[in-house]
Amino acid sequence: MPIEIKLNDRIAQVKILNQNENLLEVMIDDKVYHVDLMHNDEGSFSVLVNNHSHNMTLVPSSKPKQYTAYTLYNTYEPEVIDAASRYIRNRGNGSIAQATNRITAPMPGKIVKVLVGAGQKVEKGQTAVIMSAMKMESEYKAASDGIVKSVNVEAGNTVEANQILIEFE
Amino acid sequence: MKKIYKILIANRGEIAIRIMRTCREMNIRSVAVFSDADRTSMHVRYADEAYYIGPSPSKESYLNAGKIIEVALRSKADAIHPGYGFLSENAGFARLCQENNLIFIGPSPDVIDRMGDKIEARKAMIAAGIPVVPGTTEAITSEEAALGTILQIGLPVMIKASAGGGGKGMRLVLEDTEILASLRAARSEAMAAFGDDAVYIEKYVSSPHHIEFQVLGDQHGNVIHLFERECSIQRRHQKMVEETPSPLLTPELREQMGNHAVKAAKAVQYFGAGTIEFLVDNQQNYYFLEMNTRLQVEHPITERVTGVDLVKQQILIAEGEELTMKQNDLSQLGHAIECRVNAEDPDNNFSPNPGRIHSITEPLGLGVRTDGYVYEGYEIPIYYDSMISKLIVWAQNREEAIQRMRRALYEYKITGIKTSLKFLERIMDSADFQEGKYDTSFIEKNKAFLFQEKECDNETEDMVILAIYIDYLNRLNKIIPSKQLNPAENRWKKYTYQKNFDRL
Repeated sequence: MPIEIKLNDRIAQVKILNQNENLLEVMIDDKVYHVDLMHNDEGSFSVLVNNHSHNMTLVPSSKPKQYTAYTLYNTYEPEVIDAASRYIRNRGNGSIAQATNRITAPMPGKIVKVLVGAGQKVEKGQTAVIMSAMKMESEYKAASDGIVKSVNVEAGNTVEANQILIEFE
Repeated sequence: MKKIYKILIANRGEIAIRIMRTCREMNIRSVAVFSDADRTSMHVRYADEAYYIGPSPSKESYLNAGKIIEVALRSKADAIHPGYGFLSENAGFARLCQENNLIFIGPSPDVIDRMGDKIEARKAMIAAGIPVVPGTTEAITSEEAALGTILQIGLPVMIKASAGGGGKGMRLVLEDTEILASLRAARSEAMAAFGDDAVYIEKYVSSPHHIEFQVLGDQHGNVIHLFERECSIQRRHQKMVEETPSPLLTPELREQMGNHAVKAAKAVQYFGAGTIEFLVDNQQNYYFLEMNTRLQVEHPITERVTGVDLVKQQILIAEGEELTMKQNDLSQLGHAIECRVNAEDPDNNFSPNPGRIHSITEPLGLGVRTDGYVYEGYEIPIYYDSMISKLIVWAQNREEAIQRMRRALYEYKITGIKTSLKFLERIMDSADFQEGKYDTSFIEKNKAFLFQEKECDNETEDMVILAIYIDYLNRLNKIIPSKQLNPAENRWKKYTYQKNFDRL
């Protein structure tokens, strides 16, 4: 079963050529590395490549096969593509949403005010909902002209990250 | 004179722990209070006693003065320390403490009233001969009146919540088109944060330095200052990095401003720890901005260069002790810098990033102090401030302090949430900061450098891919233990089930 890793726009293939406990010979796409890899069950990794030390931590996301990876300066949101996810992907049900026809919460927070109602006409840039998180209030606006299809929240609601707040037609 | 044996800390997070640390050193018992969201917060675990005070929103818990007084009486505390934020600058609460025979660790309610009302404070300072910024002398409660005043003073102006602090309910207006939106946002935020939407408006001094002086006064009329803190590195009017001594001040200017700070405190018969904030322009003119009648977030850098435990002084002053230090005994030894570590995403307009701490490694070594409260497995609540920790370094001089801060930031590893750590490191790396030539426009001015995308080399990227691969295989057949604190499970239902196994 081939397993691929998706990192930003890149989809990489990984193959383990040889393994002697922590010493690995691996091929990532067309490049071969000899690495010394130690890790624990909580996702902390120490990898030595040509004696160059890399430290990183992987945090599994609530969705299966998705992670947040923390390196010294960057965070990534890599995803494992195995047979099951490839099947779903090929059916055209990719998880990439059309961002313009909905407003989603970028982080957990609380709805302060909803300024539009279902059926209402909105203009591009019109503020649709005000949300607060950690005492900061921010406004979320319609990405294009359109009509509100549904409003899924009301003032005072607590929302999760990525929850759909308002949908447009 | 009344000795304090037990203190209720009417706060949460890092400052609650900071205060309890001193309590422990002074052999004073500490009482924590907590909301629904904070049962697992570290301050509850650190305290000697902890009491539940209500639902998660601050208004129903940490701002519920009646409930906190009730808990203080029930726990037989002698005194209440309010920390910063929440009820720390609430004169009504201080009065309520007095009426219930509890010591409020802070100044008298009348002084809080006077200095907390920014318009009253301006009047008091003008009377004492301290320079102030041009602006309104009355609180503005209607939108029309505010618009009129803005047009009269002329742009740019700053709109501030009359009851405010910490950058909440505060908006800078540069363009005509922003006036209405900014005014409404400021008033709405002020209402939500302080329950009062009165604002005041003042001329905006462009690119000023924000320099504040720490003062300590006792109940016998003695006031000293513990020098300045340079707080000009700000975003959205919230401080990110503070240092002392300020690279801008000359010894003469420091002495002059220090004397003015003492004079300002004496003018209102101030006692307790307080901070006089000044705006300083590039011509070294300085204006009184406001007085904070409480402990500041950035107080540790002052503690580090003067060697004085400010919380301990607050407690001694509240007991009625006389200050044992004289102005001439005090000096600034070496250099201290503080960085505020926030749960936020610097690449996404600093949007708050609450979540669960997966792992945390705090920096150690010579000259490093961290004042934080999060631990592995802890879920940061959405209801409160995004600051999770303060990193304070000390060194013999400024250059060494910057080098040490860079080292400490490198060591500081927090995963599970996004933090401001890498952004702070870029501030340390910027030429303007290293040369000490910066004002409150620093982040705007250095945008290109601070927000540059750091190119990740291919090797690192490949190692991430490899790690994911290994971890995925490893997780296929394993249950990964969690470090999160969970309530004890109700085992009654499992009792007979368990018994069956015991018989075998």
